[in-house]
Amino acid sequence: MREVTFLEAIRLARGEEMERDPNVFLIGEDIGRMGGAFGVTEGFYEHFGPDRVVDSPISETAIIAVCVGAAAAGKRGVAEMQFMDFISYGFDQVVNVAGTYLYRSGGKTPIPIVVRGPSGGYIGGSLYHSQQFEAWFFHTPGLKVVQPAFPDDAYGLMKAAIRDNNPVVFYEHKHLYRRIKGPIPEAHEDYIVKLGSARVRRYGEDITVVTYGAMVHFVLEAAQHLEKEGISLEVIDLRTIKPLDMKTILQSVRKTSKVLIVYEAPKTGGVGAEISARITEQAFEWLDAPIMRVAAKDAFVPFAEPLEKFVLPSVDDIVFAARELVAY
Amino acid sequence: MSTTRTRRKNGQQRVAFHERLEKSDLIEIYRRLWFARLFDEALYDAKKKGRLRRGNVYGSRGQEAIMVGTTYPLRPDDFVSPIHRDMPVFVFRGMTVEQVMCQVWGKAEAPTRGKDSWSHMGDMNLGIVHSTSMLGSTIAVACGVLWAQRLDGRRDRVLVAYTGEGATATGPFHEGLNFAAVHKLPLIVVVENNQYAYSTPVELEVPTKTVAERALGYGIPGYSIDGNDFNAVYDTMCEALDHARAGNGPVIIECVTYRLQGHADHDETRARKYRPVEEIELWEKRDPLVRYRQYLLSTGQFTEAELPEPPLDIKEQIERAIVYAISSPDPEPHTALEDIYDESAGVSL
Repeated sequence: MREVTFLEAIRLARGEEMERDPNVFLIGEDIGRMGGAFGVTEGFYEHFGPDRVVDSPISETAIIAVCVGAAAAGKRGVAEMQFMDFISYGFDQVVNVAGTYLYRSGGKTPIPIVVRGPSGGYIGGSLYHSQQFEAWFFHTPGLKVVQPAFPDDAYGLMKAAIRDNNPVVFYEHKHLYRRIKGPIPEAHEDYIVKLGSARVRRYGEDITVVTYGAMVHFVLEAAQHLEKEGISLEVIDLRTIKPLDMKTILQSVRKTSKVLIVYEAPKTGGVGAEISARITEQAFEWLDAPIMRVAAKDAFVPFAEPLEKFVLPSVDDIVFAARELVAY
Repeated sequence: MSTTRTRRKNGQQRVAFHERLEKSDLIEIYRRLWFARLFDEALYDAKKKGRLRRGNVYGSRGQEAIMVGTTYPLRPDDFVSPIHRDMPVFVFRGMTVEQVMCQVWGKAEAPTRGKDSWSHMGDMNLGIVHSTSMLGSTIAVACGVLWAQRLDGRRDRVLVAYTGEGATATGPFHEGLNFAAVHKLPLIVVVENNQYAYSTPVELEVPTKTVAERALGYGIPGYSIDGNDFNAVYDTMCEALDHARAGNGPVIIECVTYRLQGHADHDETRARKYRPVEEIELWEKRDPLVRYRQYLLSTGQFTEAELPEPPLDIKEQIERAIVYAISSPDPEPHTALEDIYDESAGVSL
């Protein structure tokens, strides 16, 4: 085991995959000589050279398209969005080009690409450096969407994403990059975390909390507070948002009969709505209370601290919602 | 009026590559031009007569010299990414006419298994890169196909990406060409300037006198040529291929032509309203097939009888493929949910 930061886990996973498979290459803005805005690619350029660590022009469309075209020709490109917010520039490539490619090739041309980058708020990044728009891609067939919360998952999921034959949109919450540390397996163990598998991060009796990304840490903190009040949360870290691990979710729902879904994105039309609908469709008779959601308010992520705090979900929001649910 | 506006360095004379072609090549080119014409006629006819009941037919009448002239000098290992007015290119690069017709009729045997329509197909084994309805997007994807060649040490494989003059106004066209030029990728962008993007005339799509001038922004060669003159297209393509294969980066070839039909078969009535009749009549006179036949006769190598109009066996070949497609099975409904994901890598639950 190696004790590393969340960021280092992602860096190591990609480096090890590049050593393992010469078809893997990276492309993004400032990832070469500089090693990436957050340093997630530090040292790669010197080691793997400019053809496998491509310093791209500021062209999100081209960055993703290069991965798509190279994938059609047998390579595995990992595209870095300097901030996940910028993926909107490359939206057509992700949704209409990568997402549809296998389908319109009659199943003959898989597109193994990873589009990854830092997402999320709580850092004063304001409108274009804070967003969580995973719902855009959650809605699109042909894509997988991943967002880990711990270094071991980030490590194992990144390896699985690179080896997966489908386009994977990989969200790395920048708030976790250097704050969260944890053990990851050694390189020779060839550890992967299968895409589509959730993980119960804390077992409990009263409420099932379904969450992912930075919110996992918020929920775990809330669970500690609530434990003192005699409220016990079962915390499911989705890890992969698409495909959804409904099996793990439903298993927990049948045990607790109450569900709270916590996500950082704007509440309306978010991933939580789909999870809620599916639980209602598949386990309605097990529910003792309405399914509740804690999410960001339907606003953009503003700059000033009081504004950002007001918009994004907090540990307190989770605590209050859990109390309400228990009392229902 | 001359439509040949070639931008050339130092005013040097272009090599007449076409003069080096053998008689057998000339006949093959003549037949390919006719294949393209007859393909278009057959599908318009099939749609009109109700043999083809679904999907649109995007005409390519008058653009035959571009399809044949840009593909004839290619190597078997080069790549192409055809668009909706290049259907014959799929056949020139190795698909069977039957496969193409199955695609048009949405059949199970089609390259897309009935999932997508018309030109949105490809076959990476044949070097045919799949395009989408957003024409500019493939220019950027092409860079990736070429990047894969670079990683494999195959820098001399060229990709010919077709697009329309309207699509040169899109972002991906720019990002793709910019990337290709920065990294000197062997990308040849063939702009079929048929003067209309659906109903929008070229002057509302492109602010410069020629589309080829866009090349200046990338520091690459841009040619504006008569797209209805096979020899001009062929010669320019040969020159561009030499340039790209030598590692000098991308090239834009603007083939000036004219869309004699509507945007698609559904647009024939309105297309007569948004375009002046005189313009259509003028371009009818510039028929690339007539011009190439005249050229062949002028070489003294052919008799009139050797150049039939049309070669009937090609017409029959196309009809046989249509009959094949019509009688071929439809896709099973449940296959609509296949090929959304590829789980063969086994890293997913």
